[in-house]
Amino acid sequence: MSLLALLGVLSSTIFSGTSLLYATLGEVVTERSGTVNLGLEGVLLISAATGYGVTVSTGNPFLGVLAAMLAGGLSNLVFGYLVITRKANQLASGLAVLFFGYGLSALIGKPFVGKLINSLPRYMIPGPGELPLRYTSLFKFDFLIYLVIPMTFFIWWLLYRTRWGLGLRAVGENAETAYASGRNPGMIKFQALFVGGLLAGLGAAHLSIAFTMNWAEYMTGGRGFIAIALVIFSKWHPIRAIAGVLVFSGAVAFQLLLQVSGVNVSPFLLDMIPFILTLTVLLIWGGTRKHSAPATLGRVYQGTE
Amino acid sequence: MKRLFRILTILIVAVLAISACAPQATPTAAPEAPVQPTAVPATEVPPTEVPPTEVPTEEPPCLIVGATYGGPIMDAGYNQAMHEAVVAIQENISCVEIIEAENVYDEAGATTTIENMISQGAKMIFATAYAHQYPALDLAQKYPDVIFEHVGGWEMSGNFANIFGKPPDVWYMMGVAAGMMTETNKLGFVAAFPLAWTDVFVNAYTLGAQSVNPDVQVIVAYTFGWGDSAKEAETTNSLINQEVDVISMHVDSPQTVISTAESRGVYSIGYQNLAAQQFAPEYWITGQGFTLGDKFTWLASTVIDETWEPIFLRCGLADGCMAIAPFGPKVPQEVVDKVSQVEADLESGKIVTFAGPIKDQNGEIKIKEGEVLTDDAMSNVDWFVQGVVGSPK
Repeated sequence: MSLLALLGVLSSTIFSGTSLLYATLGEVVTERSGTVNLGLEGVLLISAATGYGVTVSTGNPFLGVLAAMLAGGLSNLVFGYLVITRKANQLASGLAVLFFGYGLSALIGKPFVGKLINSLPRYMIPGPGELPLRYTSLFKFDFLIYLVIPMTFFIWWLLYRTRWGLGLRAVGENAETAYASGRNPGMIKFQALFVGGLLAGLGAAHLSIAFTMNWAEYMTGGRGFIAIALVIFSKWHPIRAIAGVLVFSGAVAFQLLLQVSGVNVSPFLLDMIPFILTLTVLLIWGGTRKHSAPATLGRVYQGTE
Repeated sequence: MKRLFRILTILIVAVLAISACAPQATPTAAPEAPVQPTAVPATEVPPTEVPPTEVPTEEPPCLIVGATYGGPIMDAGYNQAMHEAVVAIQENISCVEIIEAENVYDEAGATTTIENMISQGAKMIFATAYAHQYPALDLAQKYPDVIFEHVGGWEMSGNFANIFGKPPDVWYMMGVAAGMMTETNKLGFVAAFPLAWTDVFVNAYTLGAQSVNPDVQVIVAYTFGWGDSAKEAETTNSLINQEVDVISMHVDSPQTVISTAESRGVYSIGYQNLAAQQFAPEYWITGQGFTLGDKFTWLASTVIDETWEPIFLRCGLADGCMAIAPFGPKVPQEVVDKVSQVEADLESGKIVTFAGPIKDQNGEIKIKEGEVLTDDAMSNVDWFVQGVVGSPK
């Protein structure tokens, strides 16, 4: 196995893992406030289509990123209206948002199918000097990739080192107690959803504007659901999410490496490796005694009257 | 509790209603796509119909043509090629009226859409996606006065015929170009699924490349989705990391694969539509596309003068049904000359793409000396020729 192939697995993991990590961080924030958004996949699609559309229309990928973030935030607020204001069941509403996202993103993206864009500019990491393009292109990253790890630590800081984060986690553990201590659970849940939506939007923007340079219907291909699984994998902790994303994206890149190396195993089977791995880890995690999920996750806060 | 239950019921109804409207995750683009990974079975897709173009004259149209596509008509891929061919009918015969429906993913959707077109007066139907063949065939029985043309299938009846290009020969020519351009002697091929047609294309491509460069290897990797862009980008990258320096593909839209290859300074060869070239201004070699406009026009004209007959039509480069894209700026003249010489030899029969002896990856003889792989045997191919790395099934 050549050096290029091994460096390639690393590079591929970083490129495809970035959007997944943003989406996972977003879901960590919302779930920490006690809301589970199964519609994350739909939110990602809406954001990816919006971001791509704005990039095509304005020619500016940075505006596209901004638009994708806002689209993600707004979609999550729609979900918030259902589950917080209307007090609807979170799982059912999440599925409604998912299908809504399928349809709406197809509608938004339709005029931009097959259109060429200026993708996000990529900057070389400092270090390697004169190497062939095939090597240097492995480590030319866009700003969303450089930003993703600092963002993870920022979210950790936000959740664990600020009063806002304390309140958010308190609402996720026990909204009534948080209310008794003078916080407004509904408002905090809305804020968490909005921040989560912005992060999902960043992930979606990376997917369509930077990584694939394309908009296609259902292009997320289940990444929203993988992100939800990775939240459990990382035990609702932003820093551990990095490990989860590395394991999953690394497995995808690795199975492709096996495929192109001509390993004599059915490609159908190889394609399942990342999912089997995720399942296995979830099974092992599920067996541990200590529950780290927010105590009121998925429960509708009925208000304190 | 009662209230919660009521809300739940409303939501479930809403979800069902929305899911019925949402098109499904089945981008069966090409007629070469016998696998239909339908996520939700049997929900109907009301397709977005483009309203018929206004005919300025008072006279009723001489023929209303209905066309169904399996994906978006601006995908720079197969569906766009089909759309352009259908539009060409009206450009050539101005009294024809066209009704189009894109994103018709599944069979149920095709049936309702085509019936809808017939009720609007369509007397000729072009069903262009793989999944539309059997719905169209059933309707051909129900409506004997309507003419049906399906693209890329094999069924025939009194008012139902099939038309397609001849991609394998053109893939052979693409292989010649790739075999001459490669420096690493490794060519990459991104495919959606291991299907018979994909195997045939890879084989023709490999044989073409080997004819000018015996050391060449073709590495095939699958994305397992017709439109999973992120997977396409990852697959392209992993091929490039195996020192592949020419990338080709058989997926819905070539956009992501070609853009990714371009960003890594690797050559690409396009398929489905000539429009793919715009994604690789620098490292483009060439590509092939379907250009069925003239044949579609001719078929429509025979319907108008009532001489239409069911013909199993397979037409290639020489008939104008397929075209080769312009060569990229980095391609030397000798490659261009060689490809056009091979084109002439294929046309004259001096070169036959699948002429025996041909061995598979295990060295087993698949086509004997003096034999040729016939057109109808191609849909059963489940092997790769020697020199291909990857699994054919």
